[in-house]
Amino acid sequence: VAENNMECNSVVDGNVEEVPSKKVIKFNPPLYKQRYQFVKNLVEQHQPKKVADLGCGDVCLLAILKYQKCVEELVGVDINEGKLKWNGSRLSPCVGDHLDPRELDLAITLYHGSVLEKDCRLLGFDLAACIELIEHFDSEDLGKFPEVVFGYMSPTMIVISTPNSEFNSLFPCVVFRDSDHKFEWNRMQFQTWALDVASRYNYSVEFTGVGEPPTGAEDVGYCTQIGVFRKKAEAAELAILEHHGEHVYEVVYTTSYPSLQQINYRRRVVVYLVYREVSRLRQKYQASLRQHELEPEFVACGNRTGKFTSDLPVPVLTEDDKAMEMAPQPFCIEDKFYVPLQRIIAYPRLGHLCGNVEKLREFLGDVIELNCDGSAVKVDLNDCSDF
Amino acid sequence: MSGRARVRARGVARSPGAAEEGRARGPASRPSIALIDNEASSSSDRERTSSISQKYAGGVSSSDSGCTFKERGRNVRRDIMDLAVCTREKLAHVRDCKTGSSGIPVKLVTNLFNLDLPQDWQLYQYHVTYSPDIESRRLRIALLYSHRELSNKAKAFDGVILFLSQKLEEKVTELSSETRRGNSVKMTITLTRELPASSPVCIQVFNIIFKKILQKLSMYQIGRNFYKPSEPVEIPQHKLSLWPGFAISVSHFESKLLLSADVSYKILRTETVLEFMTDLCRKTSMSCFTQTCEKQLIGLIVLTRYNNKTYRIDDIDWSVKPTHTFRKRDGTETTYVDYYKQQYDITLSDLNQPVLVSLLKNKKNYNSEARMAHLIPELCFLTGMPSQATSDFQLMKAVAEETRLDPLVRQQHLARLADDFQRNRDARFELETWGLHFGCQMSLTGRVAPAEKIIMQDHICQPSSAADWSKDIRTCKVLSAQSLNKWLIICSNRAESVTENFLNCLRRVASPMGFNVDRPKIVKVQENPAAFIHAIQKHVKYEVQLVMCILPSIQTSYYDSIKKYLSSDCPVPSQCVLAQTLNKQGMMLSVTTKIAMQMICKLGGELWAVEIPLKSLMVVGINVCKDAFSQGTVVVGFVANINPRITRWFSRCILQRTTAHVADCLKVFMSGALNRWYRHNNGLPARIIVYRDGVSDGQLKTLVDYEVPQLLSSVTEASSNTSPKLSVIVVRKKGMPRFLAETGRTLQNPPLGTVVDSEATRPEWYDFYLVSQVACRGTVNPTHYNVIYDANGLKPDHMQRLTFKLCHLYYNWMGLISIPAPCQYARKLTFLVAQSLHKEPSLELANSLFYL
Repeated sequence: VAENNMECNSVVDGNVEEVPSKKVIKFNPPLYKQRYQFVKNLVEQHQPKKVADLGCGDVCLLAILKYQKCVEELVGVDINEGKLKWNGSRLSPCVGDHLDPRELDLAITLYHGSVLEKDCRLLGFDLAACIELIEHFDSEDLGKFPEVVFGYMSPTMIVISTPNSEFNSLFPCVVFRDSDHKFEWNRMQFQTWALDVASRYNYSVEFTGVGEPPTGAEDVGYCTQIGVFRKKAEAAELAILEHHGEHVYEVVYTTSYPSLQQINYRRRVVVYLVYREVSRLRQKYQASLRQHELEPEFVACGNRTGKFTSDLPVPVLTEDDKAMEMAPQPFCIEDKFYVPLQRIIAYPRLGHLCGNVEKLREFLGDVIELNCDGSAVKVDLNDCSDF
Repeated sequence: MSGRARVRARGVARSPGAAEEGRARGPASRPSIALIDNEASSSSDRERTSSISQKYAGGVSSSDSGCTFKERGRNVRRDIMDLAVCTREKLAHVRDCKTGSSGIPVKLVTNLFNLDLPQDWQLYQYHVTYSPDIESRRLRIALLYSHRELSNKAKAFDGVILFLSQKLEEKVTELSSETRRGNSVKMTITLTRELPASSPVCIQVFNIIFKKILQKLSMYQIGRNFYKPSEPVEIPQHKLSLWPGFAISVSHFESKLLLSADVSYKILRTETVLEFMTDLCRKTSMSCFTQTCEKQLIGLIVLTRYNNKTYRIDDIDWSVKPTHTFRKRDGTETTYVDYYKQQYDITLSDLNQPVLVSLLKNKKNYNSEARMAHLIPELCFLTGMPSQATSDFQLMKAVAEETRLDPLVRQQHLARLADDFQRNRDARFELETWGLHFGCQMSLTGRVAPAEKIIMQDHICQPSSAADWSKDIRTCKVLSAQSLNKWLIICSNRAESVTENFLNCLRRVASPMGFNVDRPKIVKVQENPAAFIHAIQKHVKYEVQLVMCILPSIQTSYYDSIKKYLSSDCPVPSQCVLAQTLNKQGMMLSVTTKIAMQMICKLGGELWAVEIPLKSLMVVGINVCKDAFSQGTVVVGFVANINPRITRWFSRCILQRTTAHVADCLKVFMSGALNRWYRHNNGLPARIIVYRDGVSDGQLKTLVDYEVPQLLSSVTEASSNTSPKLSVIVVRKKGMPRFLAETGRTLQNPPLGTVVDSEATRPEWYDFYLVSQVACRGTVNPTHYNVIYDANGLKPDHMQRLTFKLCHLYYNWMGLISIPAPCQYARKLTFLVAQSLHKEPSLELANSLFYL
């Protein structure tokens, strides 16, 4: 099933490398990248939560999609177990994902198995991609394919790409583009098949493609033809099935990303931001004290900030400053510096992370000291280790 | 980074010619980024493999059977290179047995694990060629790995060299695979070598296997070690996140193949470079912001947000903004903003930030122009301890509390790792396919050397604890002390009463020690470094024995300028003390005692001795370290005793223009020391034992080939008839093995004086481990001694005992220390020179421990 790997590599090396009898057609960006980009654009446009790549090969597409913020579950299925094992680790979170967790959860799983088998873990997806997959099926398998993907899995959206054989006339003497291809369709053949499948399983379909033909040969169409299938409303009846199906596929690789949905990561980020904000305010306060010492009639805390936005290489964001001014101000009692939680929560990112003061207080817990009524963070005004 | 490199980096980055820029920047500014995320997770083991076969990538044919391990050269792990230096075979008296027998046996648990292999285990090395040739290593690997013939075999492959644990049927195997386009590729796999498990190449393959396994256990490789992100220790007030992990290496110990594992922590900062910059910007004035910023950031290692790569910041390019364009690998132009949005769905919040410049090491070709990477500050995390951290007591304490593991906790970490190796499905599978069996943790028996007596002037005391005998000798007279008659104290006006208190206390403390102190002349000055220096210049005359400075602050400018002046320009022993140290209530007595002892040493006195059975022995400590300021300079310190009692010391130090940590000047130093000895004792020492410290991985061969001959020639030239017998011992403090003593159901640090000279040592060396210091918290790090040259032919027992005795003689600490005293003196001396003086101290001071 999975041929992506070979292709992507051969294209990396020399784009479409053919025997040079006719002039070689080069795509820029390479065709395989254009296909991935097409899927990525769909994801950006429709914001699916659960995405499956059927015939994921060396997981190139998944490795691109894992950066999409909207995606919460990514699944790859392929019959080449070796490739999945070898490439699985490409999908694992990197060190930075732990230090700066993403907003939403993300779980990635690679299954070893055939797309022609039904596995209930593939139910309920928002998008299934079958990139350069169907042309590897013989007629029997091609017959089973719609029933499994459209009938059983029945994702909200399906994208299927396959070579457009009309374009082959521009390539020098090849029957098929890959020796494992069982067929290559022209646009009519693909569209006939696609429309038939769509109507059988209550989907709508739109046709497009990637790999523009060269000038003068526009009539052959895109090099890769693509059908985007969308399920027509009235779903829900399948939800019941979810828990009863069988687990046919074997899990080869699985990982889950740290995210702000996980309480420990969220707390960490909140605590860190509060420390940062408090120390920033304290610095500002100390600076204003120094100002005051020098020229008692001139006290303006905001002034310093304003000054260095204009001419510094690294400006400080001041967009939300107005909202911040409305919030209760930090204050000082003896050698302690207090920042009201109300003030902290007015900081947009912390407001977003905590929602309300109670939640913020809960997050800070016993990590940061609060004043006696728990309404403000309390720190030493003059802490030599300036955090 | 040197100035020149920086200029070069800048020059290339800002080269104005459009055509030039295309070439220089295109590949440079975005170094194979397209591949980074693809390769990141698995790059580490591939890089390892590649390092084994660097030479083959150049197209060496398959007839390599004569190629030895060492010829493969530069990328072989350095610590493994050291193991190829077989010094023991030349030492006749330890060829058969290098173990001692005296002392009380003690049962020790190690951090070493048995790795068992079948008797007839072999590694098969193959050379793989592709026809037509394929350049991309990724594709080469992908083609081979996906071939059914090899899919179930244990293998390590870097694109050229393939290692298998099972032999293929044919010597030459031809496989064919097809690319997507139907081009068939022929892979020819030729057997080149069959390697027994003892081969150094196998050791590297074993290390690769374990790296792979650690990755399977969801650990991340950062630098050389592996870290677990799942259980970080957070220190939010300092923006630190500590990741627990392991340093792991497989190698042959005395009789077996063992895996050593030690717990390690990676310090990561939850702060981006941009946040660091904005904070800094708030703190510093506008005018010097860019300068301060460069000063603080250049040289730091950053970790990028979107992959697992680390880069060193070599420069900051303030002229480039995220909105500027660069040329991608495929030749298209894009802005940094668009690139990160497109590639990683990251929106940059600050469009005015500069870019960080990092020079990339070109692994394939050392001669070609260095390539550069441009990094966005917002997407880079800082790693390691902040520069100002070492002086931040709170922070250091917070980190130490988390990272110093006591023996029991350390053992629990190791047990969990061992458990993972055995239980994790992928890990077990990997081990099994290679035929490796991960065995149990090794225990061994060490021996505890008897405690030493401390010899004072009129009293020999048996300390209640060898870790600290300050209480035991409080009322004893030191061996010898010159009276201090003419001396100066320089202090600020504010420190006047502190100074008087100190002098009162000193009078009380000094006389029981046998140290006569007269009242000094006190000079009061303003609180700035220049005023101190000025006062010193004005008041220090020929007959002044010692200058004491009571410093108002920890600012290094005080200490550095005073030490510099009084160590080289106007050589007079000096004693610097912080005013706040003298202010500590309740600590006054012990502080003053310590200062008094330092003063005695600086005047050339002797504090205590231990019983040394060898009657005419010179011990030498050598240390080499980098100068803090100038990169191409190393500081070599040399300290030798000049009396048989081993209480008086001769110290020399030199700055050497070279990057290698190898000493050139040993001949001069050694001859100088022998001259002094001759003058004091009317003859030469019968034996000389040199302890060489400050050695890094991979230098052992140079030491044997270059430093030992220098020492030997000066020894033989010193006398025409019987010249002293020489031994040279390499001292290393940062070794992997740890030893824990089992006491009842718990684990503790081993007792002081524990010697290990079997099983955890190396067959090719005459080496042993000695625990000579106490770790109040945490796990003790045994010191490794490797005798690389030994004409003395002392029994191992005696060598070990002597080394232990020498650990008692460091006059700056009333207790045992982790290395022999001459080494610690040399270390202290080189530290002073490298951090503060940056020039050679005057010869006039060579007879006193002026640097304590």
